[in-house]
Amino acid sequence: MRNLTLSLALLAGTALSTPVFADGHLPIVEEPLELSIHLHFKRATAYDENWPVEQAAREMTNIHLKNATVGSNTDNSEEAFNLLLASGDIPDIVGTTRIKEYVNQYGPEGAFQPLNDLIEEHAPNLKAFLDERPELRAAITSADGNIYYVPYFPDGKYGRAYFIRQDWLDKLGLETPETVAEVKTVLEAFRDGDPNGNGLKDEVPYFARQWEEAVRLVTLFDGRTSGSDTYHDFMVDDGQIKHPYATEGYRDGIKNLAEWYAEGLVDSEVFTRGSSARDFLLSENLGGMTHDWFASTSGYNRLSSEIDGFAFKAFAPPASPSGRRLAEHRRIPVKPDGWAMGFGNEHPIETIKYFDFYFAEEGRRLANFGVEGQQYEMVDGEPKFTQEFLDGGPVNAQLYQVGGQLVARGFPQDYNYEIQWTNEIALEGIALYDQGDYLTDQFLGVSMNTDEQKTFDKSWSSIRTYMLERQQAWILGTGNVEADWDDYMATLEGMGLNDVLSVMQSAYVRQYGG
Amino acid sequence: MSDASHIKPATKTAPISRGARIVDVLKRDWQLYVMLLPTIIWLLLFLYKPMYGLQIAFKDYSVFRGIANSPWVGFEHFETLFNNDQFIRAIRNTVVISFWSLLIGFPVPILLALLFNEVLNQKFKKTTQTIVYLPHFISSVIIAGIVIAAFAPSAGIVNTAIRALGGDAIYFLTKPEWFRPIFIGTGIWQEAGFQSIVYLAAIAGVSPTLYESAVVDGASRWQMMWKITIPSILPTIIIMLIIRIGNILEVSFEMIILLYQPATYETADVVNTFIYRQGLQGGQYDLAAAAGLFNAVMAFTLVMAANALSKRYSRTSLW
Repeated sequence: MRNLTLSLALLAGTALSTPVFADGHLPIVEEPLELSIHLHFKRATAYDENWPVEQAAREMTNIHLKNATVGSNTDNSEEAFNLLLASGDIPDIVGTTRIKEYVNQYGPEGAFQPLNDLIEEHAPNLKAFLDERPELRAAITSADGNIYYVPYFPDGKYGRAYFIRQDWLDKLGLETPETVAEVKTVLEAFRDGDPNGNGLKDEVPYFARQWEEAVRLVTLFDGRTSGSDTYHDFMVDDGQIKHPYATEGYRDGIKNLAEWYAEGLVDSEVFTRGSSARDFLLSENLGGMTHDWFASTSGYNRLSSEIDGFAFKAFAPPASPSGRRLAEHRRIPVKPDGWAMGFGNEHPIETIKYFDFYFAEEGRRLANFGVEGQQYEMVDGEPKFTQEFLDGGPVNAQLYQVGGQLVARGFPQDYNYEIQWTNEIALEGIALYDQGDYLTDQFLGVSMNTDEQKTFDKSWSSIRTYMLERQQAWILGTGNVEADWDDYMATLEGMGLNDVLSVMQSAYVRQYGG
Repeated sequence: MSDASHIKPATKTAPISRGARIVDVLKRDWQLYVMLLPTIIWLLLFLYKPMYGLQIAFKDYSVFRGIANSPWVGFEHFETLFNNDQFIRAIRNTVVISFWSLLIGFPVPILLALLFNEVLNQKFKKTTQTIVYLPHFISSVIIAGIVIAAFAPSAGIVNTAIRALGGDAIYFLTKPEWFRPIFIGTGIWQEAGFQSIVYLAAIAGVSPTLYESAVVDGASRWQMMWKITIPSILPTIIIMLIIRIGNILEVSFEMIILLYQPATYETADVVNTFIYRQGLQGGQYDLAAAAGLFNAVMAFTLVMAANALSKRYSRTSLW
């Protein structure tokens, strides 16, 4: 079972004997070919052979995917993946979330096949996609130089934005804040001016569903909180890996944020309010400003039917004291999710061609929009969802049901799919963000080798815990960031932060060429 | 008594080998052993077989390579753990939280049982019993939600009361000094009622003749409780205490995960939550196994010690 040489020999044999069509031609094989697949992510815990998308793909490529998912009874993909690995029997294709870290660890151990040569020779569309985006190719390359998975590439730029109660601003005679000083003035007015008009001082000026979004305010004072779409992540500054929580800007940011918190400008319960904060504070007419996703937050404007004049509008990132306007959170262009090829797969060429199919026009449309005539129609050469489909509930949830937009499938997303069901206010906000240059480069992760990983694992988890403990203590006022800073930096050093940064730096240079 | 009478005929005849005697016993009581079988199988499958996996605490474990094929690394994971201040802190927190919940939480169900026993009105007794059992059947997630809501600074019932009395609202769940009282109190509220069932059963087993003769001798209810009820259920109390000591390091960590914050890690982070963050979220199963093994060895030592002490001083013991 673990005899790799044997399976490689087998692979070589089959590769020679199977008739394969010229690159990019459909169907991929003449005779129907069955490949087994483990597909698991939160919204689909098994591969359904009856999905219309699978049926259509089957017709076009002649490759039939057979469900062989392990752990379908749990929605925890990591657990399912571990079960699969422990069983030792890895299907031809494995698709799941966070597959990048798994393949980077188990690929070199022989569990997954390296795809570099296969992509080079048999996947023209995927190759072209990666050639145009060398930084994404680097991001998916493991420490041994191999690519072990084909990722899901999200499309679109923006994730979260600042939102404010426009009607409260109007009522208090204020302008949309352009600088951090104006934000403070506005929040103070929200706190003291009784904009909801109930005679009580119960307004919550700035609130957030995740307390990390309160920490995000640090970016208004020239600090940083993360280099990617994950909280507390590392960042790249001028070719150097740094951690935002060990920079001067963060210190000043936390100092100011602690003052805002003490003055009641930030929700005093932000640490325990939890995921229902937005829903509760907006529908109770209490919340004034937040930083949250464009689409879902804009959706709350439906409350205007219950709350007179309710208008929750996106506004551009306010300028920091140094004049920086930063939208720190953005969509990451490549996810650690996608699919890979198991070591026992005897049809690597057909499989890579199948992977490539989703990077070609027809396959990409299929993965993004579903099946023509069912979910969408072609209008002026563009796929448009049918009205019936748009009216049928949340579009992404509906697409999961038919086998579209699966994040455990390697495919390039098409943002047009989302624009069709994004509401006017969100589109206005996105246009506003498009006018300015608010985005910054993202840290796409590094693939460490065994020794580097060991150094990282040994220290990082504890360092992160310590950073978050101090962070909350400073915001809550049980510590003083100015007084504690030197001690804090010395402790981080003593816990091995510099070792962590230096192994990440060496991995970064190897991977992205410095 | 019945055992002695059964064995007698065997000793009367010629001496029988030990093996034959076991066969004899099995033949005679086979129904009992059949009934025991499912539990034995359960024990072997779910408690003994997994022990094979404990070896990953001494290995550089890879799920793909499997337990047997992962390379040995000796005590490396234990060294990593004991060089980590946060692990030491987690051990200290575990012991402190357990100690206080034992000290405060252990007598409460006994008191409850004694109180229930003294209640004469059956309807009142049934109702209150149901009420105190109820929290046991509510899931931790909901209990945590109730706790968070009750201690919320703006509209929580606790802070509303504090404000009514003229005090300032306290953000309890971000204060390290408040975490343990809240956690221990929640645990008692949730479990005390259900735990009192064991003691109620023990009290029900006390022979009524003792009380009757005490009544004849003119004893008060108070005296009967101190001189009859408590001494009679003392063996149960001691056994329960030994079991509790064995579980002393098993702080109910799902509750802690639901209630803690980085701001309260200082007093709230226990070994199990440390394992959860380090091992499961960070994917370091071998390190997590090492921490778990350490926990188990500590618990084993504690329960052995408690049992030995109890055997010596009260002549009651688990084995």
